[in-house]
Amino acid sequence: MVLRATGLSKTFRGPDGRPVPVLDSVDVEVKAGEFVAVAGASGSGKSTLLNLLGLLEPVDAGEIWLDDVCVSRLSRRAQCPVRGRSIGYVFQSSLLIAGLTALDNVLLAARYVGRPRREALPAARALMERLGVAHRSGHYPAQLSGGEQQRVAYCRAVLNAPPLVLADEPTGNLDEGHAGVILAELRGLCRDRGASVILVTHRADAAALADRTLRLRGGRLESEGGEGTT
Amino acid sequence: MRRLPRGYLFTVLGIAVGVAGLVALGAMAERITRFIDGGDRFVLGQISVAGEGMGMGTGFTAGGLLRASKIEQIARVPGVAAVQGQVMLPLNPTTSQFLTLTQELIMGVDPGVAMPNRQYRELPVRHGRFLRPGDRGVAVVGSDFGASRGLRVGGRLELSGRAFEVVGVLDKTLTAPDRFAIVPLDDGRELWLRRDPLLVQVFAGGAGAMSRADLNTGAAVAWADGVDPDALARRIQAEVAGVNVTIPGELSRLLRESTAFFSALLFGIGVLGLVIGGLSLSNTVAAAVFERIRDFGIKRALGATDLQLLREILGEALVVSVSGGALGVGLALAVGALVDWRVLREGQQLFLFSPRLLGFALVFSVILGGLAATYATLRIVRLSPAEAIRRGA
Repeated sequence: MVLRATGLSKTFRGPDGRPVPVLDSVDVEVKAGEFVAVAGASGSGKSTLLNLLGLLEPVDAGEIWLDDVCVSRLSRRAQCPVRGRSIGYVFQSSLLIAGLTALDNVLLAARYVGRPRREALPAARALMERLGVAHRSGHYPAQLSGGEQQRVAYCRAVLNAPPLVLADEPTGNLDEGHAGVILAELRGLCRDRGASVILVTHRADAAALADRTLRLRGGRLESEGGEGTT
Repeated sequence: MRRLPRGYLFTVLGIAVGVAGLVALGAMAERITRFIDGGDRFVLGQISVAGEGMGMGTGFTAGGLLRASKIEQIARVPGVAAVQGQVMLPLNPTTSQFLTLTQELIMGVDPGVAMPNRQYRELPVRHGRFLRPGDRGVAVVGSDFGASRGLRVGGRLELSGRAFEVVGVLDKTLTAPDRFAIVPLDDGRELWLRRDPLLVQVFAGGAGAMSRADLNTGAAVAWADGVDPDALARRIQAEVAGVNVTIPGELSRLLRESTAFFSALLFGIGVLGLVIGGLSLSNTVAAAVFERIRDFGIKRALGATDLQLLREILGEALVVSVSGGALGVGLALAVGALVDWRVLREGQQLFLFSPRLLGFALVFSVILGGLAATYATLRIVRLSPAEAIRRGA
């Protein structure tokens, strides 16, 4: 799947009601199987860019295309299946649902795209096995370590094998070991499944894994670097 | 039934408290309503007649002695089906000799005459039996009267210094008979004589042609089928001199007017119960939904549609509302039973948990819970997934 975004702009309102521009005419294109890192200082608009690309936030201006479909213009209802089937999102803080077990959190991704639980269960178990959290299936998020929570969240994001995976600093709260597992998985998604991955990160080692790096400053795309460039 | 999500315990408890308040207030209103309705049904079921003047002034009439000759004259009025002479005395004459809705009464009736009241052809007996012709020295007590004194069938009851054996305990009627001690008419007359020195002097002085059969505080008159009771009551008043006749329709109206304050109070209690219970319940459910705004943002990020979320939340709200409603009903029943157990010592009952009230409380909690959940959901789905996650963070 090819992601193409043109002229993306987003402005929020500050506490005093004044507009605070966060993104200003950003263009992004990511090809199938490409691993792109997004770097930049805090407040540069990285997370907002990912939210717009993931259809988690409406754009103020610009367009987002997935292959031949301008998904940013779809109705709110029509965007739901796109989010469910085509986009996987790994949040910075794992954002698991406290009232559900680890396994149920993973299977939540299947529920909203109409995949029967019985059908999705083997894939969910296999994913959790591979990420080393299968033995924690019946545990609730509060009973998991930060690394385990993030791995469960990763399983949820990729359960439906989305062609586009957006990861917002997924290793920010992890130690080297756990961060390595997640980064290797993301890299593997591009290599093995041809998925497009956009990774927001502060880590140089994480960005080094990417095919290229986009650098944001003050809501504008500053430069594009080649492989390993941060 | 959906599994109750974790963390909903306090929501269920919050709803339970609101519903318990609603049910308890409603049960008090039901109790008063039943009492007033019972009195109304009673006065509409018979024509009450008393002698002219101001005698004992007890019971459902406010007149003087009703002699046997007058009862015979009444029985001859066309349209009258039966007349039952009665003696009705306040149990405790020092408190009041006048009719009040809650006073305890001694009622002397002739068991040989069928109960003339159309609404109470026979009083429901829970234990033992009702009075029989020829009975003397026995009593049938109302449920509250008996419960407040711990009376059972075979027990002894002392009335004005005379012992009576309890042969029956009535079922609860939630109106006046609950506080009656019913004795044979002749025993009632004897109790009256014991209490009224004037009457004793009248009898000791010869009393003219007066006999014990003349000792009636009033009479209950039954009308024949198809007869208009109000018209018959006026006919009795016109044809029988020297009696006070209550017109059932007028008495009912007077009773309604005199209980208008209670009716207004009931309405207020009902509205108060609905407002308190409703606000508590809807606020609890809405707060529980808003509290999970982050979860709904995550679910929308995973592709959930508005409809899927609404269905999910309504399902949870249903489980939570039904659980909270049922728990609230149970809580109200428990508190009501405890309070009634305490006040029964004074022969009172404060609560009436009717099936319609309990059913209403459950339906009310489900509907209101559903509406509150729908409102909260519609507010949440208007937000973008990212905004919902931010607000819930």
